[in-house]
Amino acid sequence: MTISTKLLGIASAGVLLAGQLALAPVASASGPSMVEEGKNIAFTRKKGNCLACHVMAGGKAAGNIAPPLGAMQSRFKSKAELKAQIADATVKNPETSMPPFGRHKILSDAEIDKVVEFVWSL
Amino acid sequence: MKHLLKKIAMLAVAGGIAASAQASPEADREAFQNFYKNRFASVPMEEYPNGVYSIDPVGRENWEAIEEFPPYEPFIDEGQAMWEKPFANGKTYKDCFADGPAIAGIYPLWDKKNGMVITLPLALNKCREANGEKPLKYKKGSINDILSYIAYESRGQKTNVIIPKDDPRALAAYEKGKKFYYTRRGQLNFSCANCHLQNAGMNIRADRLGPALGHTTHFPVYRSKWGTVGTLHRRVTGCNKQVRAKPFKAQGEQYRNLEYFLTYMSNGLELNGPGARK
Amino acid sequence: MQNKMIGYVMILAMLLFGGLSTVQAADGAKATNPEAAKVEKMIADADKARKKAASVEGEWRDVGKMLKKAKAALAKGDYKTAKKLAAKAKSQGEMGYKQAVAQKDLKMPSYLKY
Ligand code: HEC
Ligand code: HEC
Repeated sequence: MTISTKLLGIASAGVLLAGQLALAPVASASGPSMVEEGKNIAFTRKKGNCLACHVMAGGKAAGNIAPPLGAMQSRFKSKAELKAQIADATVKNPETSMPPFGRHKILSDAEIDKVVEFVWSL
Repeated sequence: MKHLLKKIAMLAVAGGIAASAQASPEADREAFQNFYKNRFASVPMEEYPNGVYSIDPVGRENWEAIEEFPPYEPFIDEGQAMWEKPFANGKTYKDCFADGPAIAGIYPLWDKKNGMVITLPLALNKCREANGEKPLKYKKGSINDILSYIAYESRGQKTNVIIPKDDPRALAAYEKGKKFYYTRRGQLNFSCANCHLQNAGMNIRADRLGPALGHTTHFPVYRSKWGTVGTLHRRVTGCNKQVRAKPFKAQGEQYRNLEYFLTYMSNGLELNGPGARK
Repeated sequence: MQNKMIGYVMILAMLLFGGLSTVQAADGAKATNPEAAKVEKMIADADKARKKAASVEGEWRDVGKMLKKAKAALAKGDYKTAKKLAAKAKSQGEMGYKQAVAQKDLKMPSYLKY
């Protein structure tokens, strides 16, 4: 697993070297793994379980209580603003049915940061 | 100027909140029923006792197939035997409930003498204890047999919860049940209303959320998930747990008051128990 | 005071009868190990927080379970696990209390029209 990931990394680095070098460092430094972990947390029933209410790309059997999550960067000015929504949606809308993932420690701060990375990428 | 307008608006909102928080039970019921009438304009009132199947055509097909061979039937038969079998002292349930077995329609009722809401399961156990029999458990087991029989015999009666005006404690019990219904609980921070009003008709994962109107007409209920018949308080226990709130005791004050409020909301709807659900 | 006396008598009895080495060890650890005493206090505090939440009908589902597990971990001498669980239970007790108290006055949802 790790070996193949590394190989992939080397291979893609090679490809990137040939072309858009500028994009490479950000994407391969911390980005992909944070996004991947965030996706896992978001989709796991006993963790974020965002799919209970939101349709999200790559997720199955989603509910429709809430708007589909996509094009987040056009909806939120910054990651911090997105994080605030996930940490405690009742601040913006006291009647929301979205659980306060941060305020009630349903997810840890580190977990929310990962979920933010994932949702921001949608 | 703008500031003043804002203040006036805020005052008006505050006034509105205060009014509905202390509205009369009748005003509550009207608002509750109107909510669903507006949301599901094509669903006639008589459909609500069918629960989520009143608004879920796919689930309904499945349910209608199940109802052709009702899974609760054996429980009704067991319950009839229980109803007829004399206690050790020679008396029967009929000695406690002269109008029985078709008595579901008068519950839950306000007991002025004891100052509490009496539900049908509670009344049945009081009868048993008065006759030297052990009380039955309130969520699972044979209480569901006798409840199934009584529910079946009571089919067609109308929900008609009464909050007597001559005892302010009755209204207070109703108000407590109402407060319970609209209070967010558990780590996931849901009130009953979040799911059964605000999001009624939506899907949470693959589950369609049903309207709360009609929630009390068909108990006890055979649930495929349980593989047996269970009480209303067992069902509510599950709904509390899934939002990570600690459930309350079956037939404790909280759930009895909740039942008083919730059944009142369905006043006018026909009883159709026992029911079958997913 | 009386409890302590009973405790001593019991320990003595155990020593006399022998063979109960594990119980002895655990009891001994409780009396002498300051870490164990600290964890015990944490669990007691968490239970207080749980009860306070329950007093306003705000207890969450898993707090009781966490405390049970914390006690079991303490008995096994696994202080790290016991502490973690006790801290989580206390925090959930406090959040449950706060949640209930914040809703002391009923606010009807705006989607219900009167
Ligand atoms: C129980 C249902 C529910 C769950 C579970 C849920 N949400 Fe939400 N979410 C909502 C609702 C409803 C809204 C609509 C906004 C409101 O209610 O104020 C919303 C809004 C949002 C928004 C803002 C969308 C926009 O375009 O403004 C984001 C971002 C979001 N949710 C992220 C998440 C993430 C990430 C998770 C999982 C960790 C999650 N939600 C879990 C119900 C839910
Ligand atoms: C997280 C969402 C959620 C919350 C919160 C919730 N429920 Fe439910 N409830 C459901 C789902 C899903 C079902 C099954 C589908 C249906 O009938 O609506 C259900 C079913 C029920 C039923 C059985 C309906 C039937 O036809 O047999 C009752 C009664 C009920 N809920 C009462 C309550 C009460 C009372 C509360 C508050 C203590 C509550 N629910 C809170 C999701 C919820």
